[in-house]
Amino acid sequence: MTMDTRNLLRHQIIKSLLAHHMAKGGGGAILLWEQLATQLISLIGEDGFVTLYDRSVVLAKAIFPWLELSAQPMQISHRFAELRSSLDGQSAAAANAANSLLLITFTDIIAALIGEEMSINTLHSAWGHVVDKQVKGQKNG
Amino acid sequence: MLLTSKLRDKKMDSKVNIRRLNTGVPGLDNLLGGGLPEFSFNLIAGTPGSGKTTLAHQIMFAQAKPDKRALFFTVMGEPPLKMLRYQQQFSFFDITKVNESIRFVNLSKDLMEGDFDVVFARIGQEVRDYAPSLVFVDSFRSVVQAGRAKEAGVSGLQRFVQQLGMQMTGWQATSFLIGEYLSPEAESSPIFTVADGILWLTQNLHRNSMVRKMQVVKMRGQSQAPGLHTFRMSDEGIRVFPRAIQKQDETFDSESKISRAQGRISMGISGLDQMLGGGLPMGYALLVVGPSGSGKTILSTEFLAEGVRRGETGVIAAFEKSPSQLLNIKLAELVKAEQVTVVNTRTLDLSIDETLSDLIAMVRKTKAKRMVIDSLSGFELALAPEFSEDFRGSLYRMIAQLTDMGITIVMIAELEDRYTDLRFSPYGSAFLADAIVVQRYVEMAGKLERVCSVVKVRGSDHSKDICLFSITDQGIVMGQPVTDYTGLLTGQPQLDGSEKGRAKRDTK
Repeated sequence: MTMDTRNLLRHQIIKSLLAHHMAKGGGGAILLWEQLATQLISLIGEDGFVTLYDRSVVLAKAIFPWLELSAQPMQISHRFAELRSSLDGQSAAAANAANSLLLITFTDIIAALIGEEMSINTLHSAWGHVVDKQVKGQKNG
Repeated sequence: MLLTSKLRDKKMDSKVNIRRLNTGVPGLDNLLGGGLPEFSFNLIAGTPGSGKTTLAHQIMFAQAKPDKRALFFTVMGEPPLKMLRYQQQFSFFDITKVNESIRFVNLSKDLMEGDFDVVFARIGQEVRDYAPSLVFVDSFRSVVQAGRAKEAGVSGLQRFVQQLGMQMTGWQATSFLIGEYLSPEAESSPIFTVADGILWLTQNLHRNSMVRKMQVVKMRGQSQAPGLHTFRMSDEGIRVFPRAIQKQDETFDSESKISRAQGRISMGISGLDQMLGGGLPMGYALLVVGPSGSGKTILSTEFLAEGVRRGETGVIAAFEKSPSQLLNIKLAELVKAEQVTVVNTRTLDLSIDETLSDLIAMVRKTKAKRMVIDSLSGFELALAPEFSEDFRGSLYRMIAQLTDMGITIVMIAELEDRYTDLRFSPYGSAFLADAIVVQRYVEMAGKLERVCSVVKVRGSDHSKDICLFSITDQGIVMGQPVTDYTGLLTGQPQLDGSEKGRAKRDTK
């Protein structure tokens, strides 16, 4: 599997998950982040997670300037509360697009730092069955 | 009587037999005395950048498998993100093992929020849930410092370490605490008392050259190799070069060597074999000394070629020339035909033990019987300055170990060009050799001639003649002993004008 197809796989996983969670509104989107945070914080610590999350928001703000990022202390609970508030103020389509970009940017940074394979493994731990489905689909395709 | 003996035998059988785990670090198991004791509680300590985390990861990736899982706790030392990023550069880092057999757990939050008890409870919970066979805590120093900051103090730390050590063994896990410490002597931490094993890593700068060393300060229940041993870090990870130490039950004195010498081997130069008293005794180290261009490399080529003719492979440690620069065609052909293997060692921060390790590996691989070291001065220059200072002592240990393996060695040494006197050996290295052959130029009848003499063959009679020799397309051709001249030792010989000398010439 080449790096491009792996990137694509990761992006597809995120898009597929968001489509599934869209119906649940902002809460569904936050659930994905929380599942990811549980796995990643165990690996890189909360400080590491928040640093990468903040960087992702800064990059995503170029397209979605309404995404909030306060100078609050580095606590993941504050960050997710801000995200929920930002997404709730937008249309479902805009919220989905912003969240998708944010997750893709975040996982791109993670993959650049710890490698694609370890990133996919982590996504698998966080979002198990959906990742399995995508990987199977990729293999069959 | 019989019953007592039976009981004693039974007692012996029922004694605990501690299993030793392979560390997966080349050379380290030898240092530890056979591997890491299973369920031991160890400390990997050393200065920043000395390779502690790399060593821990290498051991973990070597040992971890689905039925023998590993838990790696990261605390507040090196950020885990960076650790994972950089450790992946080593070939031992097998990503497929992560999650399947290895789990990383970050403890920073627990440490920030609580005291030793909170950290201990979290470690305990994770260990119970994951049931690992190997547990690592990196950096343990952060746990200690955070504990002190919260005024848990030494007593709290002592309790924590003792509990942790006991629990780890109780959980049937082999565990490792990784921490930054400056020197074993300077530390009074309880961990030093409680730990079953302590591995100490250092890196020393000496005249712009950096040398990494490892010491097994302590390893309960087994005999470890004492002292400091060099190690190198490469893309493959850590490789340790246990220091060549003369074993107590072995002696390398001349008497035992003479008794061990079984037969003689030909140098491939017939006249020289005769001068040596019938060839060079097997397992001897011969020092060939001479000024530049006198034919030392050609002599050693003949030595290797003769081995090849007899079906023996050879090894040459080339410290001055790279394989592409091997100056004589014959040697280059032997290398090309893989009958002689070149151990190319042209980096300038080697240790004797690293060189010895490479040479022994090559000798074992090729089953070589003959070895050439070209040259001692090149070897000395290739060593990190720290090792140059004890060059003779280290070289002595190296030669002793190689000849003890039954290898016959030719060592080349450059002799200063001096035409006012004739020296037989360079100061300081003659004692290493069991035999010495000297090549020199002398001026005779207005021409520079090459002469050769056998100065020493331990425990053997040998020629005392100074013989002419020439270098031809066929190699070295030995000539007659120089008997017509006197004052050869001055470098300016005179035709022997005595009646006896004239009579000798007339007879010819």
